[in-house]
Amino acid sequence: MDFLSVALDHAQSLGVEYADIRIQKTSREVIYLMDLSLKNTSKNVLHGYGIRVFKNGAWGFAHSNIFTQDEVKKTVEEAVKTAGYSALINKDNPLRLAPERGYIDSYKTKVVIDPFKVSLQEKLDMMIEVNRTMLNYEKIKRAEFRLENYNDDKYFASTLGSRIHSNITYVYPMITATAVNDSDSQSRSFDDGGYAAGWEHVLKMNLLDKADSIAEQAILKLEADEPGEIRRRDLILDPGHLGLTMHESVGHPTELDRVLGWEADMAGVSFATPEKLGKYQYGSEIVNFIGDNTLSFGLATAGYDDDGVPGQKWYIIKDGILNEYGSTRDSIPFLNDGMSRGCSRATNYYDFPINRIPNLYLEPGKKPLSPQELIADTEDGIYIEGRGSFSIDQHRVNFQFGGDMFWEIKNGKKVRPLKDVLYKSSNPEFWNSCDAICDDRFWKDFGVNNCGKGQPMQSSRMTHGSSTARFKNIRVGGSK
Amino acid sequence: MKEQIQKAVDLVAQNCKGDDYRFDIYITDKQDTRYAQNRITQNMGGTKLNVSLEVSFGNRSASSTVNSIDEGSIKNLIETAENIAKMNQPDPEFVNSAGKVDYPEVNNVAAGTENCSMKEMVEVISKFIDNAKRKNAFISGLTTRTVVDEYLFTKNGFEGHDRSTSFSNTMTMSDNKSREVKLTKCVKDFNDFDVDKEIEVLNSRFDALTEPKMIEKGTYNVILRPQAVYNFFAFMMYFFDRRSADYKITPYHEAIGKQIFGEKFSLYSSIDDPSVTASPFSGDGIPAETIDWIRNGVLKNLFKNRSYAKKINENPNFMPNILIEGGDTDEKEMMKMVDNGLIINNFWYIRNVSTRQGEFTGLTRDGMYYFENGEIKHSVVNLRFNEIAIEVTKRILALGKAEPAMSIYGYSTMDNIRVPTMLIKDFTFVDTTTF
Repeated sequence: MDFLSVALDHAQSLGVEYADIRIQKTSREVIYLMDLSLKNTSKNVLHGYGIRVFKNGAWGFAHSNIFTQDEVKKTVEEAVKTAGYSALINKDNPLRLAPERGYIDSYKTKVVIDPFKVSLQEKLDMMIEVNRTMLNYEKIKRAEFRLENYNDDKYFASTLGSRIHSNITYVYPMITATAVNDSDSQSRSFDDGGYAAGWEHVLKMNLLDKADSIAEQAILKLEADEPGEIRRRDLILDPGHLGLTMHESVGHPTELDRVLGWEADMAGVSFATPEKLGKYQYGSEIVNFIGDNTLSFGLATAGYDDDGVPGQKWYIIKDGILNEYGSTRDSIPFLNDGMSRGCSRATNYYDFPINRIPNLYLEPGKKPLSPQELIADTEDGIYIEGRGSFSIDQHRVNFQFGGDMFWEIKNGKKVRPLKDVLYKSSNPEFWNSCDAICDDRFWKDFGVNNCGKGQPMQSSRMTHGSSTARFKNIRVGGSK
Repeated sequence: MKEQIQKAVDLVAQNCKGDDYRFDIYITDKQDTRYAQNRITQNMGGTKLNVSLEVSFGNRSASSTVNSIDEGSIKNLIETAENIAKMNQPDPEFVNSAGKVDYPEVNNVAAGTENCSMKEMVEVISKFIDNAKRKNAFISGLTTRTVVDEYLFTKNGFEGHDRSTSFSNTMTMSDNKSREVKLTKCVKDFNDFDVDKEIEVLNSRFDALTEPKMIEKGTYNVILRPQAVYNFFAFMMYFFDRRSADYKITPYHEAIGKQIFGEKFSLYSSIDDPSVTASPFSGDGIPAETIDWIRNGVLKNLFKNRSYAKKINENPNFMPNILIEGGDTDEKEMMKMVDNGLIINNFWYIRNVSTRQGEFTGLTRDGMYYFENGEIKHSVVNLRFNEIAIEVTKRILALGKAEPAMSIYGYSTMDNIRVPTMLIKDFTFVDTTTF
C-alpha cells in the first residue's frame, strides 16, 4: 500500500483539490475452440496504476506500469500537468465533484472454485466434447466454444481517506453452432454473458446438454420460414433477449453523462432529459427498473466504484415513471447537489473512469405467471429467445432488434419456428406496451461483457435480468 | 527502450524451450484529450506496453501476455506460455511461425507528430471551442496523438519493426436541439492538420443544417460522404474471410474471380502510395503487398491467415490499409446527376441482419440533407436502412475523389484509409426515426 500513500501525499503537495490512485492487476484466461481446432489459448496479465487528480475544475490523468517511488511521483506530476492544461480551457466552465467521504473496506466475489486453478485439461475436455457433439450433426458446419475467466485485483486510495481493496472474478462460457445448406446459413448460441462467480457456475450450466439443443435449433432455423411482411403482433421476450433490450433502451439513456451531452461525439446523447424526471411515462405501470451495484453475482459489483463511492440499489424507473439516473461524482453536480450513485468505472488501469450502466434489471411481476401461461394467453405473437441483431439510434429512441431463436404463436400455442425476425419500436412505445411480466420464479440474469463506450473506447461489463415478459402490438417481420 | 527490447528478445531466444515461438512487443505512447459541451472532460497520457509470447511444442501451442519487459516478467511470460502449451491439446490446423522474409519498407512516421506537445493539442481544442461559442453551439470530441512501435520476432527468423505516428481529431458540433454534425480527421503528421480548414468544413456543414423535416421511408438516391462510405463497407469487410466463404456462411462461396459486385466498385490495399500509411507486416508475420480485394466488381481475394492458407494450400494475405477507388465527380455534379436525393454524413450502429445474404442495418447520423435540382433544400430526420452491400455496389452512379476517413468509433492509430464520396441509386430505408 506504500505506493498509494506516495501518490496521494505527492499530489497533495502539488496543491490538488482531490486525487486518487488505482493499482490494478487484471488477469484473463481465454480459450477459443473452433471446429476442434484451438484458435487461442492464452493467459494475459495487465498490471499498473492510474492516477487521477482534480484541480481548478479539471481532471488530469496519467498511468504507468513501473512500480518505483520515483515513477509514481513522476506519474502524479504528469497528471497534475494535464489537469493544468485542461483548467485553462475550463476556467469559465469548470467541472465540480459531488461530496463523498472516505472508506476503508474490502470486497471479494464469492468464489467456490477458482477458475484459474482448474486444470487446462478439465476445461479442454469439456470444450472438445461440446464442440464434437455439435459437429456430429451433419448440417452443423461450424462449432465454437469461447471460454473466458477473469480476475481483477484492485487497490484504490483517495485523498478523502479511502483505502479499498477489491477482488473480482467472473466466468464466461459461450457456445455457438452454425448450420449451413445451399441457400442459407444460421447460427444459434448459448450465451448468458459473464457471471461473477467461480468455476462452480460453469459446472452448473450443463453445457454438454445444451450443445445438442443449440445444434438442433440452428438446424431448425435453417429450415424455418421467414416471418413475412411487417405487421403488428405481440412479442414474448425471454430474459436472454430482454437483457440486451434493456441495456440499449433503458441502461444507456439513463446514464447521466449521456444526458449531459458528454458522449455527443461517440456513444450519443439521451432523450431521457432532466425535465422528464419524476413525470415521464417511460413504461407501463408494471415496469420497474432497479440499478443495483450490490448484486452479489453482478458484473458491475465491486463494493465501490472507481470514484470510491459505495455500491447502491435504487429505482431508475418506478411504476413506469423515469425516477433517477446512474451517476458519478463529476456528473451529478450538473443535475443537483446530491451524491453520486456510484457508476464511475474504468476497465483497465490505464483507462479513465467514466459513467457506466450499473447492474440493471426489470423487477419480476407480482402476480403468479409462467412463460407457458403467457404463451397460452397470446393469440397472435412471436416468442423470441437470445440476442441477435441490435441497432439503436444515438438518442436511444428508435431501435430495430432481432434475436437468436423465434417461435410463432397462434391461439395460445407455439406453432412453428421462424428465422430472420426483426422488430422495430421506440421509446416510450416499447416499454409502455409491456402488459405482463412473469413472476420471480422465472427471473434470470444476463451478463454484458463488451459494453463499448467512451473515447478512447473502453469495454465494460454489467449484469441485467428479468423474467419473460409480453409486449403488445409491436411492428415485427422481416428485414424490409 | 531499444536496449530493453533487445534484452527481452535475447532472453526469449535463450530461455524458451519450445519448438517454435512468436514474440510480439507493442508499445503505444498516447495522449488523449477529450472534450464535451465546450469543456475538457478527460485529459490523459502514458505509455502502454503489450508483450506477447506464443510458444509451441509440436502442434500444441499457447500464448501469454504481460505489460512489462523486465527480466522477471519475461521469464514468467516464457514459463506461463510454455506450461499452457505443454498441457494443451494438439491443434490439427497448427502452422509454424513465419520465417525470415523481406517485408516492404514503408514510411509511417512524422516528426511533427512525435514532437506534438500536450500544449499544442489543447490549443487546437481551444480553437474548436471558441468557434463553437461563436456559433452558439457546443463542441464535443477527442484529440489523440499516437506513436506506436511494433516488434515481431519468431524462432524461425522473422524480425520486424514498424513505427507509426498519427494525429486524429473527431468532433461533433451541436446546438443541443436538432442540429448536430460531425467531422473527423486522421493524419500521419500533426503539421498537416489544418485547424482553420477543419473549422471551415465543420461550419459549412453545420450552417447547411436546418430544422430537420420528416420524410417517408422508402428508396432514395444517396450521396454518401467518405465517413459514411467507410463505415458501411468496413462492416462488410468483417465477413470477408475465406474460411467463412468456403463454409458457405457468407455470400462469397466460390465467388473469387466472379463479377458479384458492381463494375464501379474497386477495393484494394497498396504499399505503393506514399500518401497513405500501411502496416508492413501482419501480426502473424505476413509481409504487406499491394493487393486487389475487389477490382471493377470482380472479387479477387478474401482474407486468409497463415493457418487457413496452409490448410487450403494457398498463400496467406492481410489488409495493410483500406482503399476504395475514387473517381472525378464532385458533390455538386453528383447532385445534378439525379433529380433529388439525400446527402449522408455518417452511419451509426451498423449490425448484421443476414450473414449469408451480407445484409445489414444501421442508421444515418451527424447530419443528413435533402437535395433537389442540384441544391440542398433542408435537413432530414434520420432514417434506418436495411441493405445488402453487394447489391448497393451495383447501384453506384458516380464516385468522387478518395479522401481520408476514420473508424466508426471516431479514432484511428494510422492514416490508412482512403475512400470516395459515392452517389448511389435507390438506397433502401426501412424506417423513420423521431429526430
